[in-house]
Amino acid sequence: MLKRRHLLAAFAAALLAGPAAAAEPVKASLRLKWLPQAQFAGFYVAAQKGYYKAEGLDLTINPGGPNLLTENLVATGADTFGLSGGSDSVFAARDKGLPVVCIGVSHQVTPFVFVTRKDGPVKTLQDFKGRTVTTWFTGANHVLNAILAKEGIKPDEVKIQPQQVSVTPFVDGATDVATATYYNELYAIQSRVGKDNLRTFVAEDYGVTFPRDTLIVSETTLRDKPDLVKGFLRASIRGWRDAFADPKGAVDTVMAIAPTLDRAHQDFMLTEVKRLMTAGAAKERGLFAIDPDALAKAQDLLLQAKVVAKPVDLKAAFDSRALDALSAADRQL
Amino acid sequence: MSAALAAAAPPAGRRGHPLVRRIGGRVLALLAVALAWEGLVLLFGIRPFYLPRLSSVLGAILATPGAYAAGFLRTLAETLIGFVAGGAFGVAIAVAFLRLRALRELVFPLFVVSQTIPVIAFGALVVLWFGNTLLAKAVIAFYLTFFPVTVNALIGLESVDPRQIALMRSFGAAPRQILLQLQLPSALPQIFVALRLAASLSLVGAIVGEWFGDTTGLGVLLLQAMYNENVVAIWAALLVSALLGTGFYAAVAALERRLVFWGAEQ
Amino acid sequence: MTAQRSLAVQRGVLGALLLIGLWEGVARGFALPAYVLPAMSDVLVGVWAKRTMLAEAAAYTLAEALLGYALGALIGIGLAVALSLIPAVRGFVVTAVTAVNSVPVVAYSPLILLWFGIGVASKVVMVALAVSFTLFLSTLAGLDRVDRRSVDLMRSFGAGRLALLWRLRLPTALPLILAGLRVSTVRSIIVAIVTEMLGAYGGLGWVIYQAVLQIDFVQVWAAIVVASAASLLFFGLVGFAERRLLFWRAT
Repeated sequence: MLKRRHLLAAFAAALLAGPAAAAEPVKASLRLKWLPQAQFAGFYVAAQKGYYKAEGLDLTINPGGPNLLTENLVATGADTFGLSGGSDSVFAARDKGLPVVCIGVSHQVTPFVFVTRKDGPVKTLQDFKGRTVTTWFTGANHVLNAILAKEGIKPDEVKIQPQQVSVTPFVDGATDVATATYYNELYAIQSRVGKDNLRTFVAEDYGVTFPRDTLIVSETTLRDKPDLVKGFLRASIRGWRDAFADPKGAVDTVMAIAPTLDRAHQDFMLTEVKRLMTAGAAKERGLFAIDPDALAKAQDLLLQAKVVAKPVDLKAAFDSRALDALSAADRQL
Repeated sequence: MSAALAAAAPPAGRRGHPLVRRIGGRVLALLAVALAWEGLVLLFGIRPFYLPRLSSVLGAILATPGAYAAGFLRTLAETLIGFVAGGAFGVAIAVAFLRLRALRELVFPLFVVSQTIPVIAFGALVVLWFGNTLLAKAVIAFYLTFFPVTVNALIGLESVDPRQIALMRSFGAAPRQILLQLQLPSALPQIFVALRLAASLSLVGAIVGEWFGDTTGLGVLLLQAMYNENVVAIWAALLVSALLGTGFYAAVAALERRLVFWGAEQ
Repeated sequence: MTAQRSLAVQRGVLGALLLIGLWEGVARGFALPAYVLPAMSDVLVGVWAKRTMLAEAAAYTLAEALLGYALGALIGIGLAVALSLIPAVRGFVVTAVTAVNSVPVVAYSPLILLWFGIGVASKVVMVALAVSFTLFLSTLAGLDRVDRRSVDLMRSFGAGRLALLWRLRLPTALPLILAGLRVSTVRSIIVAIVTEMLGAYGGLGWVIYQAVLQIDFVQVWAAIVVASAASLLFFGLVGFAERRLLFWRAT
């Protein structure tokens, strides 16, 4: 009698728990490469509108910081997904044996340019010779070296220095050329020097492309939970689509999380990020498209710079199967 | 501010209550600094990229008071937990070291080594172990706090006159009684020297801890402002940090005045 | 005395060996990947492999730290001593210094980096800021430790303020000043490294930052080991000087 009641209770519980467990969202986290800002608007919009929940994901968005490496946190399982530095950091991670895979590329083209004053001594890339050029030694330096090499300039002919946190030395004329991301430093420089007084050198003009802001996941997650990965991508693309359709609302969402940000700068940032995300391969194949040619070029650049010891298996490092499995409607802009 | 300052204050009763006079003096000093700040920037035309006007800094805080208030509270919580844990652990371990020479000789060098490791260097590990929780920041604040307290408590405990200990012992006092009635009270002024240091160190820990990926906190505001080169926002975050730091330091100092009233005669 | 000293040294070495053994055991036993925790042996091999680069970086950081340390110590002790001679301004100065210090030093780093650039100057300023306050506070507390009766006694013999300072206050304050100097050694190197990580042309902090970006965690820990060794050396030297200067306390 007692036993039967137990059995019944267990059966009833199983019945109740079954569908409930399936509906229970899976806990997951996305580690960004930096603090909340419009550069990541689409993810915040997707979270705020419940797109991740609709895919069965209870997603926490964790900001990054200096000295935090997204690849590391994803490889150890501390975070499920990551928006990491870029193709450079993915190559470096694979080279060092970290079990992370890139499942999408956000910025299809090089997100930074080299800036100089129009009235300054630098008119062409040849004029970089003997001048002070500041850049970040976090990937941008390899792009600089690569475009210099295309013009037959040796790195030691240019005074290359690490770039300050501040653009003030450039604005004050202490350096001739500075590196600037389209969405951050270029905004600061333009607002202080004036847009029309600047000349920019774009890596793509010299045949160099350096895709950055990569979506990564661990090998285990990709293998064992492909639906989770697909759901994450679907919801993220939805969020970005909304962010581009309603930039004002998207910046509102970001500013609600980080209210001390400068509104005008964030508006500018979202516009620029949209351009970077919808360029190149994304034009035909949608957001986060993985362009093997661009990545192969980026790898050659890193191999030449000896940042990566030996070529990595591109197919294994950049896996577009999850993205390709989404329907055309899910991927379109 | 400190017991030292309290001791140096002129005798009370000359003009009103000393506390009122002290607070009045502080307010006046603050106003003077504020006026000087605003005036100097205007007078010398200092570029806002170096020093913005105080009024624009205050304006930035008032534009989004919620963000600064949330940051203040979050950082305060992390600081407090780290400070209390570090202070308690520091004193406890100093007592243990005093009693067990072998333990001290075994562990103390490791403590010293632990303090030579910059926390920021293994930020990823902290996140790995403790996640993006409040606890992670409190752990870093603790890490920075416990050592100065240990060192100073040990100095204080050891500087007790051995004749006094011998005397208490001769009256049949138990080691516990000697500790509670003689050694700890004698060490208290020295412990508070460390606690005042620890007050600022635990705040450092909390702020640096927030550089390992977080959404709320004064450290986040500072970092965001720095990389956006928003000097007004840097100063705004600095001002709020100063408020938190001064308040916390003053609270520790007030506690010290209460507990170490004999400090000046020590 | 010497037997006790050697026992203490033995125990210290034992403690270090236990920790290193534990570290090695955990890293090897759980087969932890380098990006979680590299084995101590790998780290030491890494130190040796990159010894020239690490030595250069350490020299760079040490130079910054020592400059800032000397500057900060001078300012901190000087200010405290000056205040003990001019008690009238004491309240104001202590308030001002406390207010400046109540903002954690690292919070100034964004400003200092903007003002002084990412070169050596910003690190020296940061270290000096950190060190000067510690020493100001220690010295002030030390100078106040003087027994009032001794002061009265010396005064009754006609001793002036300077004589009081030199004969009584400074010797009494010395243990605390030296303790402050000792604690600041390590702080100075850490502050230099932390500031380097936010932007620099060289130094151990710069090496750590670069190594994290290149996902070379053996190198991260190798740099940390070198930083730790440099701090210990500095700490040990000041500690040695302290024992020399405080010889009378041992008896």
